[in-house]
Amino acid sequence: MKRPVAVVGVGQTHHSARRADVSIAGLVREAVDRALLDAGLTHEDIDAVVIGKAPDQLEGVMQPEQFLAGALGAHMKPLLRVHTAGSVGASTAITAVTHVASGLYERVLTIAFEKQSEGNAMWALSPSLPFTPPLVAGAGGFFAPYCRAYIAKSDAPAHIGPMTVVNARENAMRNEYAHLRETVTLEEVTESIMLWEPIRYLETCPSSDGAVAMIIASEEQAKKGPRRPAWVKSGYSYAEAMWVPGRDQVSPRAGRDCVKHVYDTAGITDPWNQIDTAEIYVPFSWFEAMWLENLGFCAEGDGWKVIDRGDQRFGRHLPINPSGGVLCTNPIGASGMLRLGEVALQVMGRAGEHQVDGCKTALGHAYGGGAQYFAIWIVSSEL
Amino acid sequence: MTQLRNVAIVGFAQAPIVARDEHRTAQEMLYPQVRRALEECGVSRDDIDYQVAGSSDYIDGRPFGFVMALDVMGSWPPRQDLHVEMDAAFAAYYAWLRMQAGDCDTAIVCGYGKSSEGDLDRVLNLQLDPFYLGAIGLDPTSTAALQASVFMEREKKSDVDLAEVTARNRAAGARNPDALLREATSPDDLAATEWVAAPLRAGYLAPKGETAVCLVLAAEGKAESMCDHPVWIQGLDQRIEMQNLGARDLAVGGGTELATRKALAMSGLATAADCDLVELSAANAAEEMILCGAMGLDPEKPQPVINPSGGALCGHPLMMTGLIRLGEVFRQLSGRAGERAVPDAERAMAHATSGHCLQQNLVIVCGKDRRWT
Amino acid sequence: MSQPPDEPVKYIESKIHLPYDYVAGDYRALYMRALADKKILGSRCSVTGKVFVPPLMSSPESFAPADELVELSDRGIVTTFCVVNIPVIGREVELPYVAASVALDGADISIFAMVQECKAEDARMGMRVEAVWKPDGERTGDHTDISYFRPTGEPDAPRESYINRL
Repeated sequence: MKRPVAVVGVGQTHHSARRADVSIAGLVREAVDRALLDAGLTHEDIDAVVIGKAPDQLEGVMQPEQFLAGALGAHMKPLLRVHTAGSVGASTAITAVTHVASGLYERVLTIAFEKQSEGNAMWALSPSLPFTPPLVAGAGGFFAPYCRAYIAKSDAPAHIGPMTVVNARENAMRNEYAHLRETVTLEEVTESIMLWEPIRYLETCPSSDGAVAMIIASEEQAKKGPRRPAWVKSGYSYAEAMWVPGRDQVSPRAGRDCVKHVYDTAGITDPWNQIDTAEIYVPFSWFEAMWLENLGFCAEGDGWKVIDRGDQRFGRHLPINPSGGVLCTNPIGASGMLRLGEVALQVMGRAGEHQVDGCKTALGHAYGGGAQYFAIWIVSSEL
Repeated sequence: MTQLRNVAIVGFAQAPIVARDEHRTAQEMLYPQVRRALEECGVSRDDIDYQVAGSSDYIDGRPFGFVMALDVMGSWPPRQDLHVEMDAAFAAYYAWLRMQAGDCDTAIVCGYGKSSEGDLDRVLNLQLDPFYLGAIGLDPTSTAALQASVFMEREKKSDVDLAEVTARNRAAGARNPDALLREATSPDDLAATEWVAAPLRAGYLAPKGETAVCLVLAAEGKAESMCDHPVWIQGLDQRIEMQNLGARDLAVGGGTELATRKALAMSGLATAADCDLVELSAANAAEEMILCGAMGLDPEKPQPVINPSGGALCGHPLMMTGLIRLGEVFRQLSGRAGERAVPDAERAMAHATSGHCLQQNLVIVCGKDRRWT
Repeated sequence: MSQPPDEPVKYIESKIHLPYDYVAGDYRALYMRALADKKILGSRCSVTGKVFVPPLMSSPESFAPADELVELSDRGIVTTFCVVNIPVIGREVELPYVAASVALDGADISIFAMVQECKAEDARMGMRVEAVWKPDGERTGDHTDISYFRPTGEPDAPRESYINRL
């Protein structure tokens, strides 16, 4: 990056299965207003807007940023609309970082949303595609075989998936914005219906309405306050082709390449000890163990052991998803930006009840497509 | 003002626009263009640092349509990547920003999409506010006609004016081997075509088509070895307006005016008339006149030449029309425009748009010379 | 004029129906037509020799054309799978069923397919399976010509042949 960039404001909505109290415009505005208030700025201060969401078919509006331009305060401003599948919330925020790093923009509003209740998500995500046999309903059917392959490769015991969910739900109890705020026991998870074996109902992310916004700003702006900013040390988005013979869908190379680039530029040589917390994209239980390995927090095959020991729980060595993560809140297009926004709040010291003590350096991550898209950033309390 | 890098367009490949390619998918159409663009630059896929594409899931008729394009863009090993749900010209704008941020030196920018597969009027109705505008069944032709009507009333323009603008574009398109419509047509013949939505006749509307395009950008230091005549980006800007048609003055391209002013200021030019040619993404003849007004151009004057390629009025592949304008600027300024070359062209401006009634507009000023030292 | 309703309007319902006329592409069309003759076609990369099924025009790995069509076996191995307990839109199938990644013999990428004539608890990675075709006269040259895959009863493939591929 040509010059330092910081997060100076974060705002998110309360998330639920159906935010019937607001329209799509009302939902995005709720997040935008909170982010501006947090940054002590107004719409007039914003130089550009970068918005992301998952497929337009989810709400049934094509390029909805066009009808939302007024509500976003984007009238007569530059606007970009990003779409990189499930990783979009994170790649959108990184796109906003580029805007500021370029030297051309001082304060950029970035926002991601999904109002899944306005459409039929199951239909939107698994339509009858041309020339392809309909095979399974929902994203779970697509990713479950990857989880099975992980279990087979790493000899992970069966309780790891359910255990991950129990911890995520416990974490979400400390997050007032989370969608699912109800603890579950290991038995409840294990006894819930098996949807796409090895993935059970309670091991699956919910379908949420929600939005999150951030104000990304230059060093000069960040130093004006009113609050301590989160400095963006590095952020990249990577993608890889689908039909590569021997492609490793369990630990995709795009994820490894992306995080290596991020670590190299942020000066991270020992992520397990240098990073204080991470928010990673875990839509189905087993992906927490898989991403711990892919992100280099442990050796290949050891991800499940971290979870088995509980080293990733709140208050332990490396708290993962202290917000409860995607397993508790999943407005698809916003889920990636929530990961990045949550770690920004952590290094700002303003994550509320789920604040990780002494958090200085944190990693936010999202993935999408057939585990092909990765977007990762590292933020720090120090410039 | 921050120190900016000189970035050039160094390659461009486009398949001729067709109404429908029955033999190839969008990805199969894109693959040869990516190969051609790289071959033209004399580089291998691994020499490119960044890839960015523009397309639409609703044009593709499926969610995540762009994911399949990764497989033909050479995304192995994994690449730094982004996709925008916009005309691919906006993807080029972002690649330029990324180079300004210092994160890459070379990029491919891809556009694709098969407009023929869906019913575009119904698809593009979905761009409108679902409560007030979409629900009453407006489509791009009816919103364009509303805009044309306001503009023509205000500026005292007539059916003959629309016919003449269209005829000028069609005459130019006849010299462009990549155009969809390649026959000159007289204003009289155009004025005899049927009304689609008055004041717009069938002859004044951009014909929908499909193709695939790949543009290559490179920063100073890399650009020189990739192209005999790099075309340097000298200034650019983009603006969106609110959608609500009743809240905007549709006769005036406010966003275009502002984007043009900012882009010209960055490029150090006083007026758009300092360009030798301008390529506009006008989907009908009235839009072209509105854009000219917003840019301060007088189409009666010999300079700049408006749409030497024939413009969108000779072929309008959605999600690519804007990037093709930028590609035409590259071809004109790098000596690749064949018989439609504008003589001695030094500087040019490309325009892209998104949404109904010119809601969002991007302006890019390019020249044969580097902008910054 | 009737009285305005007591409750404000909270939703409008809009049913979106969009017809699309997709182009299969010549390669995919050849593949589908060949299914009518109980043949599975793949394409071979001109640089690496690796085989893609359904056929791709170019290799995502090498970025080279894959312009040679080859005929593949209708047998292969289950590299991984899941057991599905929720119905799939557009297909009548008894629950639960096995959705598997199947590596056909001679192919370098897998296809996603349904496995039947096999209890869910008997499904396993490395299991040998074969295509069950629709009867002669009923095949029309599209993806429904293969009804499903079923176990062949051959010995399972060794672990190293599937553990690093999906």
